[in-house]
Amino acid sequence: MNTAGQIEALLLASDEPINLQKLRDMLADELDSSDIRSALSELEAHYQERGIQIVQVSGGWQFRTAPEHAELVHQLWEIRPQRLSRSALETLAIIAYRQPTTRAEIEALRGFKVSSSIIATLQERGWIKVLGRKEVPGRPHLFGTGKPFLKDFGLNSLQDLPDSAQLMDEDEIQNLVGNNVMQIQQGVLYETEQNSEASENTDDEENSQQGEVGSEAEETSP
Amino acid sequence: MSEAAAVADLFGGAEPSLALPPVQLDQFEGPLDVLLHLIRSQKMEVFDIPIAMITSQYLDILDAQVELDLEVAGDYLVMASTLMQLKSRLLLPRPEMDDEGNEVDPRAELAAQLIAYEQYRMLAEDLNERPRIGRDVFTRSIFPESDEVERPLPEGDLDALLLAFRNVLKRVGGEVRHHIFSDTMSVREQMTAVLEQLSHGGIQLDEFLLANPGREVLVTTILAILELWRQQTITVVQSENYGSISLLLKEAAS
Repeated sequence: MNTAGQIEALLLASDEPINLQKLRDMLADELDSSDIRSALSELEAHYQERGIQIVQVSGGWQFRTAPEHAELVHQLWEIRPQRLSRSALETLAIIAYRQPTTRAEIEALRGFKVSSSIIATLQERGWIKVLGRKEVPGRPHLFGTGKPFLKDFGLNSLQDLPDSAQLMDEDEIQNLVGNNVMQIQQGVLYETEQNSEASENTDDEENSQQGEVGSEAEETSP
Repeated sequence: MSEAAAVADLFGGAEPSLALPPVQLDQFEGPLDVLLHLIRSQKMEVFDIPIAMITSQYLDILDAQVELDLEVAGDYLVMASTLMQLKSRLLLPRPEMDDEGNEVDPRAELAAQLIAYEQYRMLAEDLNERPRIGRDVFTRSIFPESDEVERPLPEGDLDALLLAFRNVLKRVGGEVRHHIFSDTMSVREQMTAVLEQLSHGGIQLDEFLLANPGREVLVTTILAILELWRQQTITVVQSENYGSISLLLKEAAS
């Protein structure tokens, strides 16, 4: 029987992504993982240009509509999905990249309070969950991401988080700052304040900071 | 003149900030976000922040707010004082040294904090741009925001419990009442009942208890008897070992 066709049927009928193990259990015994994998890539190629795609998420495969049809598909429903606030996104990002982490650590990084309602919202969606408690005074909750986070954000595993390789840890940041500060001190030694104030007048008004933010951090990463 | 403006004047950096377009604090995610906005929009060097100018611009923004939500004001004000402290440290004639005798820039810590935060601010944007279920991509017939979707049972962990508890709270309107039921029997009432009985003459304890069945009644009755005995209103007599116990009114006994 046609393996790709069988997998196609299973994926379409399933509400959840199906992983390799489960596919193997359901398909004929003589198939091994490489057969299934090649059938899956055959399917992935087949759906490349279509309105639906086979996507690998959360360790399994799932049919999803192609992102370019989002606007069209939204017409099916009256309710629009809620937009995520920046605080929710930043909190989620810190938890995702630093897990396990505590609320105090999140607040220290953001330099700003994390409201309980944001934690509750993220928990309700299953994006974050309590992994345990940190063995420090107060035994605060340690937060990490839950499976729905991978599924909803289309990630196969936490390794697939965007740019995680570029993320600098505290030591790297310290070194970076140390080196740069030293250069500045050697250059102008304590006149930095006046210099930059003087040079400020020549700066144009530049309010589109968004593009600037990204390039700056990339230049500075080691 | 407002306090913030006065401080800004003190630092002599009030003019350049006039060129900045007004911003609302609620567009920002905290003091670090505000500082990054000021630094990046003016193309400043994060390792070499002109503290005096940034401080006055920062205070201008705080000052421009019609009202500052107390909940969030604290963090913004802490940053304001940090900035002013930095400025005063920079004004000290003798440079600060670390353990190895190297010069320390007091601004290094703030720079590190800004860089760390900026990373996550970017990552948050990256995350937001990923195709998301229910917003950009859809799985078959499931619309995540719809109520009719059958959700898989949550795993049996702490979160699932908390979630369930929260749902219950929601259902009862977020209000949990702890009901305390008043006793249906009071010791005092039972004391009266015992005395009433005894006024007709002494009685055997086991007979008396048998006439008042039920755990609550039994306990209350025993308490009532003990209390009456303690008050010396009645006496309790047991004439022989394991023999029956009689209750008598004190006056009758004496």
